[in-house]
Amino acid sequence: MLDTPSPIPFDFLINGEFLRTSLHEYLEAHGLNAEETLNIQYVRSLIPPAYQASFEHNDWISDVDVLSATSRAGVWSGDKLALNQDRIVSASYDGLLQIWDPSGNSLARSSSGGHTASVKAVKFLSSTQIASAGLDRTVRVWKYIESDGGLQRTLKPSLELYGHKASVDALDVHGPTGRVLSASADGAIGLWTTSKSSAPAAPASLLPGAGASESKKRKLSGASAAPQRGPLSLMPIHNSPTTAVCFDPADASVAYSASQDHTIRTIDLTTSKVENVITTSHPLLALTSLRRNQGTASSSVLLAAATAARHITLVDPRVSASTISVLTLRGHKNIVSSLAAGPDNDYSLVSGSYDGTCRIWDLRSVRAATKSEGGGSVSESVYVIERESLKGTKQRRTAGEVPGRGAKVFGVAWDKTFGIVSAGEDKMVQINRGQDLLASS
Amino acid sequence: MGSAKANLKRKASIIEANDATANAQAAQDSDFEDFGGGILNAVLDDEDSEDDSDFLGEEGDDLDDEEETESEDDIESEDIPTDDEGEEIKSAITNGINPNKDEDADDRPNYRIEKDANGGVRYVYDEIDPVYDSDDTDAQGPTNTIGNIPLSFYDSYPHIGYDINGKRILRPATGEALDSLLDSIELPEGWTGLTDPETGKPLNLSRDELELLRRVQMKEVPEEGYDMYPDTVEWYTSHVEQFPLSAAPEPKRRFVPSKHEAKRVMKLVKAIREGRILPYKPPEEREKEQEEEEEVHYDLWADETPRPPNVMHIPAPKLAPPGYDLSYNPPPEYLPTNAERKAWEETDPEEREKTYLPQKYDSLRRTPAYDEFVKERFDRCLDLYLAPRVRKNRLNIDPTSLLPKLPRPEELRPFPTVASIEFAGHEGRVRSVAIDSSGQWLASGGDDGTVRVWGLSDGKQQWRAKLSSEDPVDVVRWRPGQDGLILSAAVGEDIYLMIPSTVNPELEQASRTILDAGFGYASNAKQQTTTTGARKDPPAKWARPGARLEDEGVLLKATVRSPIKTINWHRRGDFFCTVSPTGQRSAVAIHILSKHLTQIPFRKLPGGAPQTASFHPSRPLFFVATQRTIRCYDLQRQELVKTIQPGCRWISSFDIHPGGDHLIAGSYDRRLLWHDLEMSARPYKTLRFHEQAIRSVKFHPGSYPLFADCSDDGSLQIFHSKVVNDLMEGPTITPVKMLSGHRVVNRLGVTDVAWHPHHPWIASAGADGTCRLWT
Repeated sequence: MLDTPSPIPFDFLINGEFLRTSLHEYLEAHGLNAEETLNIQYVRSLIPPAYQASFEHNDWISDVDVLSATSRAGVWSGDKLALNQDRIVSASYDGLLQIWDPSGNSLARSSSGGHTASVKAVKFLSSTQIASAGLDRTVRVWKYIESDGGLQRTLKPSLELYGHKASVDALDVHGPTGRVLSASADGAIGLWTTSKSSAPAAPASLLPGAGASESKKRKLSGASAAPQRGPLSLMPIHNSPTTAVCFDPADASVAYSASQDHTIRTIDLTTSKVENVITTSHPLLALTSLRRNQGTASSSVLLAAATAARHITLVDPRVSASTISVLTLRGHKNIVSSLAAGPDNDYSLVSGSYDGTCRIWDLRSVRAATKSEGGGSVSESVYVIERESLKGTKQRRTAGEVPGRGAKVFGVAWDKTFGIVSAGEDKMVQINRGQDLLASS
Repeated sequence: MGSAKANLKRKASIIEANDATANAQAAQDSDFEDFGGGILNAVLDDEDSEDDSDFLGEEGDDLDDEEETESEDDIESEDIPTDDEGEEIKSAITNGINPNKDEDADDRPNYRIEKDANGGVRYVYDEIDPVYDSDDTDAQGPTNTIGNIPLSFYDSYPHIGYDINGKRILRPATGEALDSLLDSIELPEGWTGLTDPETGKPLNLSRDELELLRRVQMKEVPEEGYDMYPDTVEWYTSHVEQFPLSAAPEPKRRFVPSKHEAKRVMKLVKAIREGRILPYKPPEEREKEQEEEEEVHYDLWADETPRPPNVMHIPAPKLAPPGYDLSYNPPPEYLPTNAERKAWEETDPEEREKTYLPQKYDSLRRTPAYDEFVKERFDRCLDLYLAPRVRKNRLNIDPTSLLPKLPRPEELRPFPTVASIEFAGHEGRVRSVAIDSSGQWLASGGDDGTVRVWGLSDGKQQWRAKLSSEDPVDVVRWRPGQDGLILSAAVGEDIYLMIPSTVNPELEQASRTILDAGFGYASNAKQQTTTTGARKDPPAKWARPGARLEDEGVLLKATVRSPIKTINWHRRGDFFCTVSPTGQRSAVAIHILSKHLTQIPFRKLPGGAPQTASFHPSRPLFFVATQRTIRCYDLQRQELVKTIQPGCRWISSFDIHPGGDHLIAGSYDRRLLWHDLEMSARPYKTLRFHEQAIRSVKFHPGSYPLFADCSDDGSLQIFHSKVVNDLMEGPTITPVKMLSGHRVVNRLGVTDVAWHPHHPWIASAGADGTCRLWT
């Protein structure tokens, strides 16, 4: 059994924590006696998320999403996804979307009829549909067509969705039903459909040009004639900017939203009612859902919410949950801006932060919090991915400097095929290897 | 001489008892007894018989001795003194000397004084009479009279010299004759083989001398019959002496006091009492006393009566008793080490803690005199009369109990702790920063003449407008209220009102409506001023800023007479006040946005140039800060309500608590002052934590009980203030965090701060050209 062609490195866990030092140092750090019996588990060693590639943009990149056979959109597309059609879409502050292939070629760029201001969020709906939202208060659905064997690619707007009264900062999509959720700075959650026929008409007052001055009209005259529609429902449930929204991974009729008013709300999308409110102690900036005990009867959802207080809170959104705050992930030095669940299992998570790093967390590695951390369970990151752009400059770090200055991470995605894709202030889409990062149990 | 006489007597008696030849033993005894005399005789004999009997045998010698003893004894037995003896005794008598006392001969002069023929003194010495058996060896002087010449001179002569009578002394027989003789006889007793150089005879030892040698060799006492250990003669202890005791009665005078002595003592006592007898004094002392008696002294305090001590009288404090280190033999731990001793010697005597060094002596008597004594006493006296002693009531209070019970900063979370976002882009200093009421946008204005609007949550610059190429933007402020997004900025004398493009057409349209509403009133205001009759310029001109700025979103411009440094909005968003410290009479202006009207509420403002002004958050009150005071005016009744005196030299800014009852003021002399408006004109708390001037102070406008200040030392300080409604309890102010990170450029650090309206976040503008968001 041990006669493997190549040596397999192992990692060791003691009491659920990865052993990152020597055993002697571990004993000293925890004040343990050498006579004591330790339960040591070992797993296949993890290979760090090695840097693979960077694609440069023209402006700050606010969000990225991936399309591959293993990604969510790829699964939804099913057979329609062509072989080796692995794509990355990035949304930029200059209002453009850009589509990349894995080797870094820019395949398509949204040109006319796009967002009039910064794009804040982008998601693949399927291999041919992309949803994006931005500062211009619209959610847009794009048609992405690759024809002639992938030589001709077009990215054209197919739908403009109006309804929000402030910048739309986050999106989530559900491919099979064609539903799009949006979170806006006006505190509302929008539910939209991608089908032109079933969508209600757009509210006239919000359409471009409505009541705008002459100059504004002139400016907007170049707008394309994409169909304009309104929301299926617009739920003003937060009284502060809503920063994140996501579908329940199991049930597309349930959504979760996070806001700067410290709350996470569970929304029943069929009735547009708030079912549960979880109040945390900090403004929340990102949200993602993780599945627990997938495929069993006790399957449930765990929400990871990034806070402005530089940590990630894992909460149990069930009404019946006894403990709401399950775990706190500490380690970031600045505001955490984006989260993505690991594709391989239900205990891995990657987070991007304004401190210029992405951190990979193993939710199984738990320790008790110290007194200053306020109690509860705390986990620390397994890997830290630095921005490659910062490594080149090697700035001198002064004491008063803002952590991650010039390299804020705004968006992160984790896919089995691509690995960890992150983008941010340094105008780069950075790809790091994402396989076998965490030990399989 | 006495012993000699005794010898003579004994000899005489012996001879009388028997003749010498008959009893050889007796002769032997007498011979031995007369030891000294025997020797003398033999010497005398030698004189006589030297010529012929040079080599007499032992027996012959013995015989000779016996014969001579007999002849001598014969003479002596006659017991008649010879003539010589008789003469000697006679002369001794004439000299007054007892001739028998030979021992005294040395003491008295051995001459007598006679008168010579001339009548002079003549010393006549005694004739030295060698007594017969005296041991004077001079008598047997050399018989050969040739003197000190070698005998070899007489080798050719048959004689070897001459005797005292001039007769030749013949050479003794030598040579063959002697050899033959020697062969025939044995070696005589006492033979030495030496020749007497004076007589030329062989020098033999006598029998007595041999006997003497033998005794010496045997380590016996050399003298015959000497008893070294004679029996003691107890002359005294063996005698018992007896004295009789007197039985006479004791005389009376021995126990009766002497009347005579008593009489004499009484006489002396009487004389002393009368002063006739004085103790002795040296004459100079007596003279001094006399002089002193002649001086006159006056006693100032003669009639002073003792009074009880004054209440304020404080006795001098006692010196501390000496400790171990003052002992002459202190314990070793009190003795200074070499290093301590060196340090003590090197310090200045004025600065030493102790004026002495502990020293050890073996005993107290070795302790020297203390040479510092006089100086020490002098210092003590100086201490006592130069240091005033005052009775003070000491408060026996634990100082820690006086400190306010402040909660720990950890318990007062949340408050901003770290820099999260840096807003970089301004060239030159950023002078002012503001966050809009929705909390999404941050506006900043700086030395480059631009106003910029940033996305607060991502740090992306959203909008910018260059208002001036020369003057810096001194202040930017958002108009409060959610109904519009209007930014006001002051550049020089101009106030610009602008609508930053945030891609929100409805909001922009609403804002545009608000700004344009006043254009109808502008002419009315002008008419009003003309109707008063005074042809004065209006306090401000309201106009469009020009096409270029209008395209950028800057829609309105109001120009006043002097450069504006402060803008503060009323909470409803219709009024705002501006302060231009250099504008004399129109320094403080209140602008009404809806009418495009500017009013100057104070024609004359006491207290110097105004620095800043602000509206009360809830009541119609208006606060104006001059350099040293803050005045509160009621706008409706148009009267001064109160004057607040923070007690600092130059107020830089102030802010009013959202509750409306408290005020904080920051000053250029580094003070942060908290005022309770209901309580007093004086500050409730003065906080001096900054090293440089405080530029700005701000209360959190929302629900967090925080306030912050920023300073030229490049830091912000965050305070937690708990304000309770109870009038009896003052607010609790706790400093919770110091945020530093801004670089200090040209001695300017952080120029302005602004709180986020909903979160415990604060934005700061720095002289280093950046703004920061602290979360």
